[in-house]
Amino acid sequence: MFLTDQEKRMLDGEMGYPIQKGMQIMTVLGESFGAERMVDVASSHMPGASIMLLGRAGMMFVEEMAAKGGQFRTFTTTNPTSCDDTLWEKLGISKEIVDLQTRLTAAYQKLGAITCATCTPYFIGNAPRLGEHAAWGESSAVVYANSVLGARTNREGGPTALASSLTGKAPAYGMHLTENRYGKLLIHVAWRLSGNFAYGALGYHVGAIAKQATPVFTGIPANVSFDELKALGSALATSGAVSLFHVVGVTPEAPTLEAAFGGKKPEATLEYTARDERAAGEHLNLEKSDHVDWVYLGCPHCSILEVRDIARALAGKKVHREVELWVNTSTAVRTLAQHMGYAKAIEEAGGMIVCDTCPAHTPTKEMAKKQGYRTLTTDSAKMAHYVAGEEGFPAHYGSTDKVITAAITKKWEG
Amino acid sequence: MKSITLKGRKVVPGRAKGEAVVSAEPISFIGGVDPLTGVVTEPGHPLEGVCLAGKVLVYPTGKGSTGGSYRIYDMAVHRTGPVAFVQLQSEPIATIGAIMGDMPVVDGLDRNPLEVIATGDTVEVDADRGLVIVTPKEGSPGIGAAGQGEKKCF
Repeated sequence: MFLTDQEKRMLDGEMGYPIQKGMQIMTVLGESFGAERMVDVASSHMPGASIMLLGRAGMMFVEEMAAKGGQFRTFTTTNPTSCDDTLWEKLGISKEIVDLQTRLTAAYQKLGAITCATCTPYFIGNAPRLGEHAAWGESSAVVYANSVLGARTNREGGPTALASSLTGKAPAYGMHLTENRYGKLLIHVAWRLSGNFAYGALGYHVGAIAKQATPVFTGIPANVSFDELKALGSALATSGAVSLFHVVGVTPEAPTLEAAFGGKKPEATLEYTARDERAAGEHLNLEKSDHVDWVYLGCPHCSILEVRDIARALAGKKVHREVELWVNTSTAVRTLAQHMGYAKAIEEAGGMIVCDTCPAHTPTKEMAKKQGYRTLTTDSAKMAHYVAGEEGFPAHYGSTDKVITAAITKKWEG
Repeated sequence: MKSITLKGRKVVPGRAKGEAVVSAEPISFIGGVDPLTGVVTEPGHPLEGVCLAGKVLVYPTGKGSTGGSYRIYDMAVHRTGPVAFVQLQSEPIATIGAIMGDMPVVDGLDRNPLEVIATGDTVEVDADRGLVIVTPKEGSPGIGAAGQGEKKCF
């Protein structure tokens, strides 16, 4: 692998221990993937931000890098943590976890990260431009950065994202190279989709077929919202390991079908039908009973517009007293929602805005037991998939309207 | 016994010496090794029950999920991990863990270390120079006797 003189000095330790460690990691990664050189990275998003995922050892490594003078050279944001600073006691999360989490977040801050604790860092300003190289973890955010923003990132894990932040470098392989960014599969969407459920079901269906391949969609209208693209991307990266999708006439690397495929023919062409949507819905809608106790909106974390729409849908209504409604987002969006009066509207209806965490990053099993939750009702394909698989929670999965109705009636209309 | 010197590539710099544990199979450090003791726990693995603490691990490569890097670092901090890795190939997960834990690693040796090194041999890894110096154990068959290591170290 070719290294510039500056990169060699980084590797030799001339620029300090943390940069040397970072460069060793980048070199090993690059050589194992056949990279010929490094690229300069301006933006990172750190997936290893929850103590539940990182563990004590991971925390100690981040602390060691901070103690030895490491300073991030990229704009670095952080993924959700294991708890909401203001709600952990109410949610039944232990003090021990909160204390370890506080240490980990402090170490990231010392290194120079903006610890926004969200899986949607693009909503708080980490938005690398078209063609810009980045080092992001968090599968839904990776897909958004590549597809909607046109930035270039592989699916980074904790140590590799950290290494890129420390060095400002990433090995040039995979999504960093133009030739790997063209579409492989063509998907015609034959009818007009709308909302998180419809786009999540599309992503969940196609991700399972695509695996790591890049899908190209036609038939999605030019006014598709960024929230719908967020739902599509997060579901593609749930049933598959997709890093990038194109929507012809919508996303920046797909002005035309030819551009999306780099002039080549698709390896396969599919028609997405109403039957596929039903199948994806049924696959995720695993809870057989109509019992509702935990209603969850905001995977990936809500945008301000999603929070607004939830507030409007709840106007003049009350969440059932035996139901807990979580509206999950970042502290930044909650602050804006408070400013706009949406937070008050949601809280007055009996809902709760939960920040900085999510059921995939918090001790969910322990919390659910304390709170008495038995099922989870959500409009997110990603959350429905992971709570069933990782936490043993069967989910109700449906449209945002249907989910909000279930919060009010305590009943799932299957 | 006379020592043998193998020459390869420095992956992670540093020097370490220890008794060899040889495995013909890759190892997953998540779910495959107990980080508190360094004992291999993967059911049916040729090294199941063998302790890696303080040893030079001679193996093809790591395997498994990204959490494995942190696990190796954890073992380095608690001194329950190998002191060095001699590997055929460097895959990112385990190798990144070794980088984090300052454990020397060499790969691409001029002779197959799985055939030349036997469990119980004394191995000196000088990763800075890309050298692996093997002193065979008295009465060693000289061919990799994977899985013949001692069963416990605590």
